[in-house]
Amino acid sequence: MSELIKMKDVTKVYPLGETEVQALRGVDIVINKGEFISIIGPSGSGKSTLMHIIGCLDVATAGSYFLQGKDVNKMNENQLADIRKEFIGFVFQDFYLLPDVPAWYNVSLPMIYNRVAPRERKEKAIRILENVGLGDRVNHLPNQLSGGERQRVAIARALANEPEIIIADEPTGNLDSVRGEEILKILSDLYAKGKTIIIVSHETYVAQRGKRKIYLKDGRVEGKG
Amino acid sequence: MFRGFLIEILRSAIESIKANKLRSLLTTLGIVIGVMTVIGVISVISGFKQYMATSFSQLGANVLYVSKYPWGFGMSREEFKKIQKRDNIGLREAEALEKYGASFKYVSPSIVRNMKVERGDKEVEEVSIEGVSEDFSRIINQDVSLGRFLSKDDIKYKRHVCVLGQDVLESLFPEESPIGKKVKIQGRQFNVIGILEERGEMMGQSMDNTALIPYTTMTAFTGKRSSINIAVFAEEGKETEEEIRWILRGVRDLKPDEEDDFSINSSEALISQFNQMTSTFLMISIAIAAISLVVGGIGIMNIMLVSVSERTREIGVRKAIGAKSSEILGQFLMESVVICLVGGFLGIFLGASLTKLISIMSGNIPFHIPIWSIFLGFGFCCGIGVFFGFYPARKASKLSPVEALRYE
Repeated sequence: MSELIKMKDVTKVYPLGETEVQALRGVDIVINKGEFISIIGPSGSGKSTLMHIIGCLDVATAGSYFLQGKDVNKMNENQLADIRKEFIGFVFQDFYLLPDVPAWYNVSLPMIYNRVAPRERKEKAIRILENVGLGDRVNHLPNQLSGGERQRVAIARALANEPEIIIADEPTGNLDSVRGEEILKILSDLYAKGKTIIIVSHETYVAQRGKRKIYLKDGRVEGKG
Repeated sequence: MFRGFLIEILRSAIESIKANKLRSLLTTLGIVIGVMTVIGVISVISGFKQYMATSFSQLGANVLYVSKYPWGFGMSREEFKKIQKRDNIGLREAEALEKYGASFKYVSPSIVRNMKVERGDKEVEEVSIEGVSEDFSRIINQDVSLGRFLSKDDIKYKRHVCVLGQDVLESLFPEESPIGKKVKIQGRQFNVIGILEERGEMMGQSMDNTALIPYTTMTAFTGKRSSINIAVFAEEGKETEEEIRWILRGVRDLKPDEEDDFSINSSEALISQFNQMTSTFLMISIAIAAISLVVGGIGIMNIMLVSVSERTREIGVRKAIGAKSSEILGQFLMESVVICLVGGFLGIFLGASLTKLISIMSGNIPFHIPIWSIFLGFGFCCGIGVFFGFYPARKASKLSPVEALRYE
């Protein structure tokens, strides 16, 4: 398996008023293409920060990060945006859908930035929604959908540009266990189809789904399983 | 595919404005008022200018009028008093101009009074009776449509003859030929010798409600002491004016250090004076419009800042899925430009309606909205949208994705 993500001695320091917060204190991680990884840790362990750095939403203060062999630390803002657009799909705990537009439009959003033609955008968005079982909900607004359905729209959006990696940040955090299970099933299916899945969670039943687990504590990798 | 992206941000701008209809409308109010003012003022002035120009062309562009009073607007009380003290212009001056004038051929006194014209049981009140010479027809470039014009002999022998205007003709002789018939002007008998060609109107008043009689006959009504006007047909503008000046200064015994105590008026000068006055007026209204546009622009900036902070999360999401800073900037700039254009559209519409309303209420002044003023209006709106939308849009584009996503 080829190395997709390679982090070495990554630290992240946030300024907080007069002092600083060390969110990550030297993290070494290697993730291969097609893996299903759970990043687990209590709140404040730095797992969100780690997720942001893996997802190129943020950059490390020190250390090295190579994504598909490319040095992320050397990229400028536009290059990071391109990486997010082409390689990474995010799924957030609070779904973060645009409230005033229908499901299909939410799904098509990443394709706008990828300059996909309008007609193709809509067709593809509907196709992906069908794949996550929302074929009859394409024209619904987010507030007309249940939490589980919203999260499936969010997953569909994450898949829009066919990214290599899906990063899910507490994807079941706002769902009951049945809906949560549905979401995890979809993510498992994506893993089965060859996507690289990274789930960040503090819930063990969620973390259990990962084929490999990375435990974080106080900004350090505590153990791997 | 860049065009697709433009359409997309346009669409998203319209969505966002539709989601906040009232707020967007209130925001555009300053822009609406500004554009409305500009469009309204420009169209009223340009319509009025055109109207003036066509009106005064009736007077004849090459005609100079020597009078005691200057034509025009905005004379101060002191000036007026000073002019009032001038000696009257009389026939003496007209004769001198005729005698010494080299650069001009046609001179005619023009003594005007409003009088009643009667024929049997028909009568027309307030007809403009004009005492003129036989040259007058050439000066105003107007011939008779029927009969003949006043002759030298008519003047010389102070004949009671008249040439009627179209309006008077229609009122007094609806069916029969008027030539050779008699009418009463202010109680005195006059023979109708001719009918003047139609002259149209000036400043909303018909120029055809008139009757021309020999000026020598006219003085019987007015006496010889009241001030008269003298119309001169100038073949080459400025030189004639200068020549008239020197002849009159001579006749009126003015010393070299004395000011002219007469006025040489022309429709051209009046129009240029009018244009000068309207351009001042235009400047003032543009200044007012500019102020309201700036105020409107500040309103836009304010509302865009609110919009950016309300949609911080959305900005975070868009960045997370791959939007570049420039694309976020473009989106918010587009939104502010669209708000301004909506305001501009409303302003142009209201300005045009207002103009139409004034035009209807003022009678028949044909206001028109120049195409360039519409482009100017839209151009200004775009400019304001970009200028005042830039800071908020830049603020949006500079947000860090992580912080934007965390924003509650």
